[in-house]
Amino acid sequence: MLRSVGLAVLRLLVIMLLASMIGAVLIRVAPGFSSDEQQLNSSLSAQSIQAIKQARLTNSDLPRYYANYLAALLRGDLGISQSLNQPVRDLLRERIPVTMRSLVLALALAWLIGLALAVAAQLTRSRLLTFLTDGVSSTFISTPAVVLALVFVLLRLPPQLAATLLVFPKIYRYSQNLLQQSYQLPHVLTARAKGAGAWRVLAWHVAPMAAPQMLALVGVSVSIALGVLLPIEVICDVPGIGQLAWQAAQSRDLPLLVNLTLVVTFVTVCATMLSDSARRSFTRSAA
Amino acid sequence: MKALRWGATALLILAALAAIGAHYVAPAGYEHQFRESPGVSPSAQHPLGTDDLGRDRFARLIYGLRVSLILAPLAAALTTLMAALIGGIAGYCGGWVEGCALVIMDLFLSIPWLFLLITVRAMLPLNISPESSVFITFLLLGVLGWAASARIICAGTRDLLKSEFVWLARASGFSGFKLLRLHLLPNLRGTLLAQFWISIPVFIIAEANLGAMGLGVAEPLPSLGSLLRELQNVVTLRPEPWRFMPLLVLIMVVSCFQTLLNKNEVRT
Amino acid sequence: MKRFLLFALALLVGPLAFAQNGGELRFCINSEPKTFNPLLAQDDNSEVIRYLTAGVLLRVNRITQKPQPELATGWKVLDGGKRIRFKLREGLRYSDGTQFSSADVAYTMQQLMDPALHSTTGDAFRSAEGKVTAQAVSPTVVEIAFPAPVANLVNLFDTVAIVSEKSPQKETATLGPFYMAEHKSGSYILLKRNPNYWKKDAAGRPLPYLDSVRLEIEQNREIEALRYRRGEVHLINTVSPAIFEKFTADDPSLVRDAGVSSDTEQLWFNQSPTASLPDYKRAWFTSTNFRRAISQAINREDMARVVFRGHAKPAIGIISPANKFWFNSKLKPHPYDPAAAIKLLQQDGFHQENGVLKDRGGHAVEFSIITNAGNRPRENMAAMIQEDLKKIGIKVSVAPMDFPSLIERISDKLNYEACLLGLVNADLDPNSQMNVWLSSADNHQWNTRQKTPATPWEAQIDKLMRAQSSSADNSKRKQYWDEVQQIAWEQEPFIYLVNKDTLVAIAPGVKNAQPSTLRPQTYWNVEELALK
Repeated sequence: MLRSVGLAVLRLLVIMLLASMIGAVLIRVAPGFSSDEQQLNSSLSAQSIQAIKQARLTNSDLPRYYANYLAALLRGDLGISQSLNQPVRDLLRERIPVTMRSLVLALALAWLIGLALAVAAQLTRSRLLTFLTDGVSSTFISTPAVVLALVFVLLRLPPQLAATLLVFPKIYRYSQNLLQQSYQLPHVLTARAKGAGAWRVLAWHVAPMAAPQMLALVGVSVSIALGVLLPIEVICDVPGIGQLAWQAAQSRDLPLLVNLTLVVTFVTVCATMLSDSARRSFTRSAA
Repeated sequence: MKALRWGATALLILAALAAIGAHYVAPAGYEHQFRESPGVSPSAQHPLGTDDLGRDRFARLIYGLRVSLILAPLAAALTTLMAALIGGIAGYCGGWVEGCALVIMDLFLSIPWLFLLITVRAMLPLNISPESSVFITFLLLGVLGWAASARIICAGTRDLLKSEFVWLARASGFSGFKLLRLHLLPNLRGTLLAQFWISIPVFIIAEANLGAMGLGVAEPLPSLGSLLRELQNVVTLRPEPWRFMPLLVLIMVVSCFQTLLNKNEVRT
Repeated sequence: MKRFLLFALALLVGPLAFAQNGGELRFCINSEPKTFNPLLAQDDNSEVIRYLTAGVLLRVNRITQKPQPELATGWKVLDGGKRIRFKLREGLRYSDGTQFSSADVAYTMQQLMDPALHSTTGDAFRSAEGKVTAQAVSPTVVEIAFPAPVANLVNLFDTVAIVSEKSPQKETATLGPFYMAEHKSGSYILLKRNPNYWKKDAAGRPLPYLDSVRLEIEQNREIEALRYRRGEVHLINTVSPAIFEKFTADDPSLVRDAGVSSDTEQLWFNQSPTASLPDYKRAWFTSTNFRRAISQAINREDMARVVFRGHAKPAIGIISPANKFWFNSKLKPHPYDPAAAIKLLQQDGFHQENGVLKDRGGHAVEFSIITNAGNRPRENMAAMIQEDLKKIGIKVSVAPMDFPSLIERISDKLNYEACLLGLVNADLDPNSQMNVWLSSADNHQWNTRQKTPATPWEAQIDKLMRAQSSSADNSKRKQYWDEVQQIAWEQEPFIYLVNKDTLVAIAPGVKNAQPSTLRPQTYWNVEELALK
């Protein structure tokens, strides 16, 4: 047990390290890294512009920057944001809870709706229900996050809930297909032929077959939800990490972006590791 | 259900024909600017009105369909194929191969790929044709979008390896890629089809969002995504419901794909 | 008894009638300010905070465009613009109670002129090599000396926030109408009335009338407009033409067109000899005939009408006609004349072949225009230019890109062909464009950082720019600027396209608002604003 927890933590740290390094490289080589919009300020003298450019190049030596960053990270120092001139730690401390709250709520509701609709479609075998649900999920999966978020603002609803409507179609689609596939397995057909009730068939025969992939989907859905939530935060100016990430990307703020990558990696990997673990436990107990 | 599938097929064929025959369906062309009538309501001359520059919206929708209907499904197919191969091989091999693959998948889900897209765009010549630029954008989306589905495929493959029919296949001499191709992946069809179906609108919308950073389709070529960006002007949108047409068309296309891909319904 | 009651009532109501209106003014800024230190404010949002909180020696009235006394009761420019002496008000205190004196002005100037600070305001004072000195002659008199005359010297003090030398709160102690009370990162900034603010209105009532100003951080223009419509915010400094039209249709009192601004939108070609361009393209871009032909082939009237819905005017040159004193009124707009454009091109050996324009060497004329992605009007302008030039056989590719990438291309790598951008002229005095027109300057966009002027006309402009910046006589400077404008009009290194109108939104409940074309358009007189 301790060994597997240790391995899991090691895996998490390695992935976080790799992700932040690769992210730092991508940010560094992206055009505009050494640019500052103040360079276009015609009121600044040549010396000031030169100084601004030099300041931008402070972190250009990536290996050195990264080594210093890691050393500081061990002391709990996440660096200073270049674009906001504030400690990254303070910025993240304020913003992460906002995003996490929205994420948990959006995901919980999305799973509730997506799974419930998929199950209902299979249990009822209603073509009308399937047709309507397919239509609704097609509608929301085709609607840009930004547009839906703006509609929510128009209707004076919390825009973060738009993430629920954007994530549930994916959960619905995967779940629907998984359940459909599982319902066609020979042992399920046999159980139904032998008169097993619909709920019993679902709980005892279908769910165990679909569970491993469903559990994998749980982990992945965190990443999907985060990917949907961040642009909503940007557009609707919700003070979460999405808004921070956008501002950092616009100004190529390396310290902030590297730390944000760490946060996203941490959340993603924890979610996938937990779902992998749940899947393995389930498979072992089913066996 | 058969009727629905026929209907979906017919609609997709109609959309494809309209896109191919855009020159005849929308003779106004997607780039001509009727500068005397910018932002006008629908009329006989302009069935969906004109946009801010006086360009015929109907023509831009038809030509936009052409771009999105070809490239988005292609990118979706690419991402599904990559998910199937990588996830399938990882699940089949297990052990350190699976471990490494899962690490790569997690990395792909976490890394800020936006900067790669910006870098690739910067490497392309500035006068690259709009068609080439949008093709490259969709290609990159396809290459980067496989990780989520690959995880599910990997989990499904691991599970399927324990099933009896796979044992039987192995006992019959199937192994490696043949086993994967003939027995494992077909039984993961549901997940693969879901991935394909989801990816089409996701990539169209992603192309729209990338357009805000100059990474989408270049002027004057329209795409469904670039037309969807107009819906962000929500304050000025309300009295002009015809501007929702690209969204309705996308919903229709996605629904048609969904109907066609849902072949195997269990009937009572 | 009745009289007594009435008298008592008057005693009660009277002071209330004369009390401040109070209330909280709300408007949006588009992102987190980078700094709350007024001396370091360079970005738009930090400048908002500075404007609302900082005390300045004088303030340029945004309507009359004349400087009026603030912390200084008067000033005198001496030595042909090399010295300025201010007489200060007495008895003023910072928001934390610290006494204000001439020592604070001297301290501020010392901080501002620190070479390590790199502030736009400090740089504006650096007219030549040498030190800028500030001396507190007495507690209420301060004298500032410069190594050489400074153009537009007086008005520059509109942006100098006087910080306290002695206050324990350092730069956050303010002399302006408000002080920073609360800041929630990513959400809002709350400024409260400075209880020690010195200004009173004509009736002797303390200013500001408002209790507080709340700045909501809102990046999305659509949501800002929605919130304004709902009454959640009171002002919008810049309204897009589409939203302006929509609001006008709903209720004309919601928005105002303050008139044509001094901002410009322009297109230029990369003429840098070190740019990685093929020689034939470099030859095109460095040809005056080519640039003038492109200019004449662009329909500016259409641009103003279609992109800006009529809320813009075709631009003539460097300076907007709205800038009445500095604009060279002899200049006329470049006509839209594709036929004349073709003739000009033919002079340079261009010819048309099956609808495609080709140069002497047989190369088809095509080039790319970069502009900043996400700026819808600019993308639309680029699309219109593409369509206009197609009519004379030129193929234009439009390549929008994110701002940092664009800046890198035009300022550092110089790997672009043409660029479409705008210039914000915060100051009416064109001396702020010094670093655009000097050939050695970084912002001489079409051919930046020249060691020696590449062309005779650029050499002439250099001479004129230096002459105008070292003169304190505005009428003489006007002559120099007229000539600069004439040269720029003839040579068109920048092809000026339009001057946009200043479109603002001021809620009907806001009293005393007088929108201006100069920044900050809606709240430049914030201490006089009140809410009904």
